[in-house]
Amino acid sequence: MFGFRPWPPGGRSRISATRALFIRHGAEGTPEGRSLRLLREWLSPAQREQFARKGYFEVVGSDSGKRYRIHAGASVNVCEIDKRGRLQEGLCFMPIGALPIGDVMLAQKIALETCEGQARAVARRFTPNNFHFRQSRPLG
Amino acid sequence: MPIQIVMDRSGDRRHPFNSDDAQELAKAEQRFYELTNAGFTAAVRTGPGQTSHLRSFDPTAEETVFFPRLVGG
Repeated sequence: MFGFRPWPPGGRSRISATRALFIRHGAEGTPEGRSLRLLREWLSPAQREQFARKGYFEVVGSDSGKRYRIHAGASVNVCEIDKRGRLQEGLCFMPIGALPIGDVMLAQKIALETCEGQARAVARRFTPNNFHFRQSRPLG
Repeated sequence: MPIQIVMDRSGDRRHPFNSDDAQELAKAEQRFYELTNAGFTAAVRTGPGQTSHLRSFDPTAEETVFFPRLVGG
């Protein structure tokens, strides 16, 4: 009567996939989108999958072999974790210059994987909790 | 073609260069040292997800990323 028709089989998922494609394409034209694309290119397949599924990825420190979790964010987003994946000390450090989020996270990954001591030397410590690492939107 | 990617607030600036062209190679080398002397860190990909800190110009590096000096937050 009002012109409403039921979705054809598979129509809803096709529309949602098309929408995601449009959003992704549009976002990659922005500084943030380009920085996230560069980040994804530099992550290992395992890190990329972890980032997509959980909103963070893990790296191993070059000097100590300690594991760190880098959450989506541009500050207060790095945390040392123990062997069981429990949060230990939080580290807050970033490159100067108000870089987009993906660039900050890539710089943090490279720094911890190649010059961990230098990164730890400048980092401000904080006690992590889940509030620090809540994710407002998927970025992976 | 090798490329130098310099992070900045616009996302990044990309500088591809032809490593067979002496002039372009010299310009890329000059850019490398200008950036690293200004405090940027240079890194290359050595494998999937693996990175290495580059302390001197490597004309064979396919993709070099530069990020500014780190500071505590």
